[in-house]
Amino acid sequence: MSRNLSLAALALGLALVGGTALAQQHTVKAGAIRYQTDAKTDGIRGVGIPPGADADIGSATTFLFTYEYAVRPDFGVELVIGVPPKITARGAGTVAFLGEVLSARNVAPTVLFNYHFGAPGDTWRPYLGLGVNYTKFTDVKTPYGWDVEMGDSTGLAAQLGVDYAVNKSWGVFASVARVKVKSKLVATGATVLETTIDFRPTTYSLGVSYRF
Amino acid sequence: MTRLRLQAFALAASAALALLLTACGGSDPDVPGSVGPSGAPTTKGTFTAIVSFGTSPSDVGTYSPATSLAGNGQAPYFGGRFTTNSATGTVWVENLAVALGITITAAEMGFNGTSVPCPAQAINPALAATCTAYAQAGALVTGRNGRGRDPATGAGALTVPVGMQIDNHLARFTTFRSSDLIIVEGGLNDLFNAFEVFGAAAAQIQARAASGAISADEANRQLFTAQTAAQTEMKKAALELAGYVRDKIIARGGRYIAVATIPDPASTPFGRSPQVAPAASVLTALADTFNLWLREGLANQPVQILDLRNFFNETVANPTRYGLANVTVPACDAAKIAVVTGGQVTSGSSLFCNATPGVPYNGLRTGADPTTWFFADDIHPTTRGHQLIYEFANAQLRAFGWI
Repeated sequence: MSRNLSLAALALGLALVGGTALAQQHTVKAGAIRYQTDAKTDGIRGVGIPPGADADIGSATTFLFTYEYAVRPDFGVELVIGVPPKITARGAGTVAFLGEVLSARNVAPTVLFNYHFGAPGDTWRPYLGLGVNYTKFTDVKTPYGWDVEMGDSTGLAAQLGVDYAVNKSWGVFASVARVKVKSKLVATGATVLETTIDFRPTTYSLGVSYRF
Repeated sequence: MTRLRLQAFALAASAALALLLTACGGSDPDVPGSVGPSGAPTTKGTFTAIVSFGTSPSDVGTYSPATSLAGNGQAPYFGGRFTTNSATGTVWVENLAVALGITITAAEMGFNGTSVPCPAQAINPALAATCTAYAQAGALVTGRNGRGRDPATGAGALTVPVGMQIDNHLARFTTFRSSDLIIVEGGLNDLFNAFEVFGAAAAQIQARAASGAISADEANRQLFTAQTAAQTEMKKAALELAGYVRDKIIARGGRYIAVATIPDPASTPFGRSPQVAPAASVLTALADTFNLWLREGLANQPVQILDLRNFFNETVANPTRYGLANVTVPACDAAKIAVVTGGQVTSGSSLFCNATPGVPYNGLRTGADPTTWFFADDIHPTTRGHQLIYEFANAQLRAFGWI
């Protein structure tokens, strides 16, 4: 809750600071985002779990929404949110026979500070962004009856993208981002399983933009 | 103007970032079992009694009447303890009592449904307060019918469960006292029960896999499920035992309370036997599951853990350091015990194993030495084994600051 408030405060603060200086300071984007993980765990540890137990983490595609406020013609702050995608984990290594062991939705707002090359009005404007991602795992489910807790993750996010202006307001965009998402997982049932998952996601986004 | 605005932006952004980071933090979930007991006494006790609850390793002779030489339930007995029995073949709780200058005797003695409470009192009324060795071989945490007790008739071993052992003490003494050194040990019989259920399930699963009725993966899944079921039983037993410690001992005045973890039976002759060895990892898992939940159930409780699990592993792994020549073969001879018991006991149970040299009822394996061999039978320690447990416990009690 306090996170949402702080983000709202940020947006409000920026709006006040920005004031009347620029036209078309606001950009909203919508599109699809591929959340491609290249996850590594530090192994699954727990009483009764054979050595070499691991998990494979799946990838997902979902809808993406962003809002960017242009502080300067070449600099903006962007909030990225998405419909939380469902990520699944399957047993791997010595516990591959377990099949799917877990699914969770990751609520992952990201704030990025973007530098835009070129000038407003250019047809093509590449941009580079650096920021912070916060990921919270919700709706955690397992067919094994465990009580699963996943720690929240706060990590750096970096993106590279390009905007293509169709007209003064509308455009399309594509971006690729790397995000640091790491979560400690504790599954409690008859025993206690522990692992830390480094999701190492790369996201690929594609969509339309509207500037006003 | 632009610069000013940018600075203001940077300020707002960094403040927001700081908020974001503190708000979200990157929280770590709690791990059950990671918080142990705390708040136990750190000062020396003035002990007038050892009050011992548990199972066979702490049993000072409940079933002695089953080993009556005359065969009439009366002394002298050729066995009675689950070790290499002899005039010096005491168990660790007795050794500890001697070291502390305390007398401890069996709370109950008997067999096959008949028993005598506090037998020492019958011999000498002055000994009434010494009958605080409640531990009984075969006793469960989770049920009345322990190992060796006929559920239908109550024949065989008494197996008063650990919770009832504590109730019996409270019935006699109303409360615990700060002069009681309280030892709680239990769970191994629950483990053997759970392991038997697992073993039966595993045999069926493996037969189905061998016949091709189920795939290897499906067999592994079913084995995992069977093991999980056994672990669930251990969790239940451990949390139940921890509950007894909290509700029946701490809440009833107990102050100096040592709760033992259970050893890993994988390192016993039982665990190393050809039939069991393939599932030794399951034995380890069950013991560790119990110990994990015992710790969890005792989190922040004012007790100390007596880590018998580590002691056993350490001892079996380093026999020479502990003056042991053999940590794999039982010192008792099942064939000799069968002869001594007229064929009634074929399991080689050390309850019936006498180690006195030269006596006709001696049950020792030829060449075995209860002062250098660790195991009396497939799970229980010899006289030397009990001496080592005592030494370990004694050192621990010193480390706790209690003695």
